[in-house]
Amino acid sequence: MNENVYILENLKQSSPIIQLAWCLSGIFFVIITMLIMYLKYLRNHLRENEKIETKYQEEYETHLITYLYAGNDDDTLSLEQQSIINELKTCIVDPFKRKIVVSTLLKLRNEISGEIAESIDKLYIELGLLSYSLAKLRNKKWDIIAIGIRELTQFKVKGVHKVVMNNINHPKKEVRKEMQLYLIHLFSFKGLNFLNVLETSLSEWDQIQLLEVLQVANNTEIADIRPWLKSSNDSVVIFSLKLAKVYNQFEAKEELIELLDSKSENVRVNTIAALSHLNIIEAKNILKTNFAERSHEEQIAFLKMMENVYESSDKAFLLEHMQHKNFEIKLLVMEILKNINFEEYPFYESEFQKSLIA
Amino acid sequence: MGNSKKIVLAEDNSVLSLLLKFRLEKEGYELLIAIDGKQAIELIEEHKPELILTDIMMPFVSGLEVISHVRNKLNLQTPIIVFSSAGQEEIVLKAFDLGATDFMSKPLSPHELVIRVKRLLI
Repeated sequence: MNENVYILENLKQSSPIIQLAWCLSGIFFVIITMLIMYLKYLRNHLRENEKIETKYQEEYETHLITYLYAGNDDDTLSLEQQSIINELKTCIVDPFKRKIVVSTLLKLRNEISGEIAESIDKLYIELGLLSYSLAKLRNKKWDIIAIGIRELTQFKVKGVHKVVMNNINHPKKEVRKEMQLYLIHLFSFKGLNFLNVLETSLSEWDQIQLLEVLQVANNTEIADIRPWLKSSNDSVVIFSLKLAKVYNQFEAKEELIELLDSKSENVRVNTIAALSHLNIIEAKNILKTNFAERSHEEQIAFLKMMENVYESSDKAFLLEHMQHKNFEIKLLVMEILKNINFEEYPFYESEFQKSLIA
Repeated sequence: MGNSKKIVLAEDNSVLSLLLKFRLEKEGYELLIAIDGKQAIELIEEHKPELILTDIMMPFVSGLEVISHVRNKLNLQTPIIVFSSAGQEEIVLKAFDLGATDFMSKPLSPHELVIRVKRLLI
C-alpha cells in the first residue's frame, strides 16, 4: 500500500510529459485488453457458427442423397421424397439454414451431370428457393443481385430470363457479367442477343469468359454475327470479330471489309487480324492501296496478314517499305521478302543493316 | 458384403463422395472413402482395393501423388480412374504418364461412372 502511494506521489511530482506518457500507456493498455477480449469472443463465435454450419451441412447432405435415390420409377415424388421436401421447406425459412441448403445443393450440382443434376434443379424449384433467388434480384445491393443471378444460372432456371435481362445495362459490371453468363450458359448462341441492346463496354475478361462458355456448350447452331459487326458499341464489334475468328464466319466477309474503315483504331486492327485468320484475300489489295494512311498498329497487323498470303507480285510494295521508320514493320517486310525470294535476301539484308547504322 | 470388390474413393467434396458411395454400394461394391490424398494412401495400403477413384485436386496430397505412390512405391497395378475439372487437361496427361487407367471430367455422370467401374472390374 505504502509502495503504491509512493509511486503515485512520485508520478504527481514528475514532469507533465512523463505524466502524459503514463496516462496514454494506461489508455492503450485498456483499449488493447478490450480488443483482445473482443477478438477472443469473435473467434469463439465464428468457431461455434462453423460447428453449427458443419452439423447442418451433414444433415442436409444426407437428406439430399436420400432424396435423389428415393424417387419412384414413374418420375413422381415418393412419400420419402415428399417428407424430405417438407422438412427442408421448414428449414429454409431461416436465412442461415437456407444459405446452407443452397450451398449443399450447389456443392453437388456443380460436380455432376445427367439425371441427378436435373433432379437437383427440380428440388430447388420444389423447395421454393426460386422465389428467394428472384427476391435477390429486386434487392438494392448490387452484390445480392449478382448472387441471385448466379443461383439462377447454376440451377439452370430458364423461365425467368426476361427478369434477369432487366439488368442488361446495370451500372455495376459484376451484375452485367453475371447476367451475360446466365444467358450464355442457358441459351448458348441465342443468349448472345443481349449484344443487340448492350450499351456498356464488354471487358476483355468478359469476352474471354463468354467465349469459354460458348465453347463448352458445344452448340453447332452458330448465331449470325453480322448485325453485331455493325454495332455502335466498339466492344461488341471486337467481341464479334473474335466470334468470326473462332467460328470461321466467312459469311460476314463484306461486313468485315467495311470495318476496315471503322472510326476506332482498335476495331480496325482486330478486323485485319480476323481477315487474316479467315484468309480473305480481297482485303489484302484494299490494305495495300492505303497502307501509308494507316496507323503503325494497323500496318503491323497487315504485314502479319501478308506473311500468310504473300505473292511474288508483292515484292515492289515491300521494297517500297523496306526503309520504314518503324523497326517492327521493317523486320516484318524483311521476313516476307526472305520468304518470297531467298536468293535475293542477302542483298536486302545488307540494305537493311545499312539503314540500321544510318 | 464379404466378397464384394473394394473401391477406394479419394474425393474432398463430401456430398459427391456420399452420392458415389450410395450409387456404387447399390451395385454391390464396398466403398472406402478418403477426404484427401493422405487418407487415400493409408486406405490403399491397408485394404489393397480392386479399384481406385481419385480426384486430382485434393488437400495435403494430390491425386497425382496418390497415383505415383501406388505405381512407384507400392508397385500395384490396381486400375485408377481420375476425376478432373475443366482446364486440367495437362494434369490429366501427367496422370496418364504416372499410370492412371482412365479419367472422367467433372461435372461427371454417376451412371457413366458405374459403367466404367464395371468395365474395369469384370
